[in-house]
Amino acid sequence: MNKRLRHFRTNMLIFLAVVGPGIITANVDNDAGGIYTYSVAGATFGYSLLWTLLPVTVALIVVQEMVARMGVVTGKGLADLIREEYGFRTTFFLMVMLLIADLGNTISEFAGLASGMSVIGVARYIAVPLGAVLVWVLVVHGTYRSVEKIFLVACLFYIAYPISCFLAHPQWTNALEGTVVPYVRSGSAYLYMIIGLVGTTIAPWMQFYLQSAVVEKGVKIKDYKLSRWDVIVGCIMTDVVAFFIIAACAATIFASGHRSIRDAGDAALALRPLAGRAASYLFAFGLVNASIFSASILPLATAYYVCEGLGVESGVNKSLREAPAFYSLYTAIVAIGALAVLLLNEQKQVPIILLSQVINGILLPFVLIFMLRLINREDLMGDYRNNRTFNIIAWVTCVAMIVLTLALVVSTFFPTKITV
Amino acid sequence: MIHFTELEHLPVYDVKGEYLGQLDELCVDPSQNALRIALYLVKSPNKTVLRIPYDQVQSISMLAAQTTVPAASLMVHAPDEGLLRVKKDVVDQQIIDVNHRKVVRVNDVDFDIQPSDGHAELRIMSASVGLAAAVRRLLQGTMAKHRIRALTSLLPSKNIPWEFVNLIEPDSSRRVKLRISYERLSELHPADIADILEELSRDEQKALVEGLDDETAAEVISEIPTELQAALLESLPAEKAADIVEEMPPDEAADVLQEMPPETSAEVLADMEKDEASEVRSLLGFEERTAGALMTTEFVMVGEDARLEGVIAALRNFEGKLEAVHMIYLVDAGATLTGVVPLAQILLADSSTPLKDLSMDPLISVEAHTNEKRVVDLFHKYNLVALPVVDDKSHLIGVVTADDVLEVVVNHD
Repeated sequence: MNKRLRHFRTNMLIFLAVVGPGIITANVDNDAGGIYTYSVAGATFGYSLLWTLLPVTVALIVVQEMVARMGVVTGKGLADLIREEYGFRTTFFLMVMLLIADLGNTISEFAGLASGMSVIGVARYIAVPLGAVLVWVLVVHGTYRSVEKIFLVACLFYIAYPISCFLAHPQWTNALEGTVVPYVRSGSAYLYMIIGLVGTTIAPWMQFYLQSAVVEKGVKIKDYKLSRWDVIVGCIMTDVVAFFIIAACAATIFASGHRSIRDAGDAALALRPLAGRAASYLFAFGLVNASIFSASILPLATAYYVCEGLGVESGVNKSLREAPAFYSLYTAIVAIGALAVLLLNEQKQVPIILLSQVINGILLPFVLIFMLRLINREDLMGDYRNNRTFNIIAWVTCVAMIVLTLALVVSTFFPTKITV
Repeated sequence: MIHFTELEHLPVYDVKGEYLGQLDELCVDPSQNALRIALYLVKSPNKTVLRIPYDQVQSISMLAAQTTVPAASLMVHAPDEGLLRVKKDVVDQQIIDVNHRKVVRVNDVDFDIQPSDGHAELRIMSASVGLAAAVRRLLQGTMAKHRIRALTSLLPSKNIPWEFVNLIEPDSSRRVKLRISYERLSELHPADIADILEELSRDEQKALVEGLDDETAAEVISEIPTELQAALLESLPAEKAADIVEEMPPDEAADVLQEMPPETSAEVLADMEKDEASEVRSLLGFEERTAGALMTTEFVMVGEDARLEGVIAALRNFEGKLEAVHMIYLVDAGATLTGVVPLAQILLADSSTPLKDLSMDPLISVEAHTNEKRVVDLFHKYNLVALPVVDDKSHLIGVVTADDVLEVVVNHD
């Protein structure tokens, strides 16, 4: 018994040493933009879109598992591998586009922070600078381990959504039915919503971040199985949270007659008369947490892979003096993201965020195809290449993601009013 | 000087001026000459790759290259592991800049054109890593070469002379063929080599450790975090791992073996010399986070009646690290610890003084199961540099030194 206990303890310790990158990366997917999309889906279509979460989870797992595997086996970041295989120029343009895309994303994170805090009654002129400073200090003064621990705690705060959802008293049977029974209906609005839900799932930067984080963590090949669980648990967590967000909005905003919501903070406000003050605050708290969390990881990831790809020293473990380019880039992205929200009104932020979405959509095919080609290289991956079956699944998934993401890009230029 | 970015895709003509194709790759044959380009690979319009030996290149410049022989006498190239390929093995890859002690990624490679009777030779001069080289890569092929030159000459460039470039090749047989040695690298301070090591991927780390001699490898490995030590040693053949562990101080050897899976550490222990293995084994028995787990078994011990000459004899026979000789430990006939004398004190005193009289007062020691926190407190309170560890019968079994304590303190922060 004692021996078994000890065995269990050792396994737990190894798991804790491996866990992190997968869970963190997947959770950042539920950022301000994600929460808004889910809120709109629940508010306008009730429980009828919940079924999309299952295939989305599978797709997310398939893609993220491959990057984590590449990180563990090669010990190199994705940007490193792309640079070694496809040369400087390709890498450079990839990095520049990612930088622009992520700048846009960072702006929307800070906008989400402002909108979440306004529900609690804090003006954005206080919330945004405070958030930016917090995020900056965290990374500049942290080591990889301490930063990761804080990020993992941030993942736990997503519990705010399930609680908020329980307070909203959704009809659980309807919700479960909506999750397992695909409900297809015609109408461009419904189709747009599906594209929105799926298209925001896999962003190019996530692949770079996950692989670099796995590398920095130093996961050994023999512990790879645990790393895979890290990815799987993370992806499931993410979509469980998405489920609760959709269900909460379906139970309240949708059930009470239709309401359009402008941003995720709006959704929190709309919950108040229907599900009570607590549910509304929890929803807003979740948004604030998600925004700060994503606002620290996105610039971090961007700085990471840009430095990696261009061969400049990077890493949270390095000091300011050892990796000046890395920290300057990180600081600039945080500062520009925060300043844009403070100085530009919403009308002016829209084109930037649109641009970043378009660039994300254009980049994703490249990143996924590079990824699939790299992971099938024998000299890099050896026995850890994709097998035939997995390759078919992976290609189908990636092509589907590419098509839906491009569809999302196209749809942003031809907005239809979502009405039912 | 000419850059690889200016040579890639260069049109190549044969002796009669007939177009052969584009220059695709430059190869060095390290078994012949470490700097000279031995082979020029040319991609012909029908996609075959022709090889031109260095002595058949009549001229080469930014504009074109010409051979000394007709097209018909050129052979088709077959891959050869023993050749160093500039484009494939150097450009865009990570190398170690031995001079600046860091790992960098190569943007471009610089050559020197040297006329040699009847033909022109290219010699590798340096690897470029700076901004100028990056811009050259970006602009390559988009505008005239002299324009790119003029433009990039305004930018800061950073070249690593080839003699300071250490290539990293994970495949050990290819490393031998390419004559990659880590001789220059092993002259650096082990802590610097350790920093370089931590920058690399696991296969590359393995390659580097395999390329170092056992003693240097042990010193380098002692400088990296324990988990990484274990992962690295596990990836090596047990025999090589044993050779390296033998060279490590016994306390660190025990720490790293404890971190490995039991089967692997047993294998390593079995491959070690008997004496070293039993020393390490005795340390493995101690509970984590105790004085026993921290201590080393390398220390200088003499009988309590000894005098200066006895100490000198003991020091001459001592095989451990020099840091371990600051304190001399006195034991009685039954191996019970009776005193501790600083080496400096012995040197300052009269050579006939019995060591017993120089002993520090009070005699501070701990038992092996003492918690490491208590050990740290004692070091702090009494300003110790070393602390003897005894078993339940007061027999001296080891010594905790200040560097071990520093590690505990730093890691707990």
